[in-house]
Amino acid sequence: MSLTASRALPEIEYEPYDDRTQLVQLIKGYPRSFTSNPSQPLIHRPVMLSERTGPSGLARKLTIGEDDLSRTVNGDQRAIGQRIWVAGRVMDQDGSPIPGAVIEIWQANAAGKYVHEMDHFEAPIDPNFTGIGRIVTDAKGCYKFQSIKPGAYPVMASDWWWRPPHIHFSILGPSWMSRFVTQIFFPGEPLNETDLLLNAVPDPEVRQRLIFEMTPTTVGRVNGLGFQRDFVLRGKRRTLALD
Amino acid sequence: MPKQHLPTSPYCTIGPFFPGELVVGCEDLTHFEEKTARGQHILLTGRILEEGKIAVRDAIVEIWQPDANGVLRDPLDPHFHEIDPRFFGWGRSRSNAEGWYQFRTVLPGPLRADGGVPRCPQANVMVLAIGLVRRLSTTVFFHDVPESVDDPTLNCIADVGGCLRCAIRNLILTVFLRTAST
Repeated sequence: MSLTASRALPEIEYEPYDDRTQLVQLIKGYPRSFTSNPSQPLIHRPVMLSERTGPSGLARKLTIGEDDLSRTVNGDQRAIGQRIWVAGRVMDQDGSPIPGAVIEIWQANAAGKYVHEMDHFEAPIDPNFTGIGRIVTDAKGCYKFQSIKPGAYPVMASDWWWRPPHIHFSILGPSWMSRFVTQIFFPGEPLNETDLLLNAVPDPEVRQRLIFEMTPTTVGRVNGLGFQRDFVLRGKRRTLALD
Repeated sequence: MPKQHLPTSPYCTIGPFFPGELVVGCEDLTHFEEKTARGQHILLTGRILEEGKIAVRDAIVEIWQPDANGVLRDPLDPHFHEIDPRFFGWGRSRSNAEGWYQFRTVLPGPLRADGGVPRCPQANVMVLAIGLVRRLSTTVFFHDVPESVDDPTLNCIADVGGCLRCAIRNLILTVFLRTAST
């Protein structure tokens, strides 16, 4: 990109959420969705400079970790579980890549246990697995990390609900408006059929955007299963200054 | 070629297990790269409560604000070159068992430039929590809000009232965010 183009800084537009592309906010059978969500209508506020901006150089503030969650840092010991590669691309609503986006990941271990003091599931901790990572997208908006496939786990406050295997993603994009958090599920899991969060997306086609695609398998020196998921953050360019 | 318009990916709740490791070092905005930020240092604190005034623990609160001189750390701010190099402007806190979050930060200056629109000193606040499938976003204002400033964000909150309350005592700012009401 030329200096002129980068200086033109075409203004980014942010539209309100399209409900058809999102989860319903009040989820039957999930009490916390009723007690946490605002019961009064939200106030729509103007998108000002403070909303169109975000901290530049986040990697200077946040520690970017290694892209391998399947072993302890500086350790040779591998976590127990099915080794996986996860990759994808972060883009805006025009499909333009978002380089330098910080992606934070957290997940359960192969037994379905989180390293978190509030996880009361009796499953064991894996000493070689924290399930926590922070990476950054490259110049093409791409990310990639290694991990192990998380296990399913029961919601202890419920008497039936088991969460299917999933990975949490938190993405810090270019602006306040593009801040994004979600959970991504694995294809073909029986528990996907009953999960209250995944099925809170009414449109089955939209629901697929919360599920990894499995990439073709390969066998070689290092073996893992590949999964892929792209993310589209809020924001599109009003006009392209130069094409 | 027709312009693409992709739908945004579906948001989902952070659930109950957001890791504390991802909050380390983010609650203090008064220092950046071991240098002390310019301006009045303040404690920005409050509680996250759900319906019935029950404390929400492990909620994530994020803030984004200009420096003491009213400049945002983003090249879109025309005064970006004047940013306090010792102030980052973004922070994150995780609520404790009583629902309290807290930041050490600086009192923001009024935004120097926003397309000619006058702005009051303010900080953006985001709340992520269990049960919240989308993020909540609001703004906190500080003491001495000049009546003469016609701030569009302040105006839209003032029109409704009661959703957000600020009080400043001995430079300790308390903000109560009500995430739900009966």
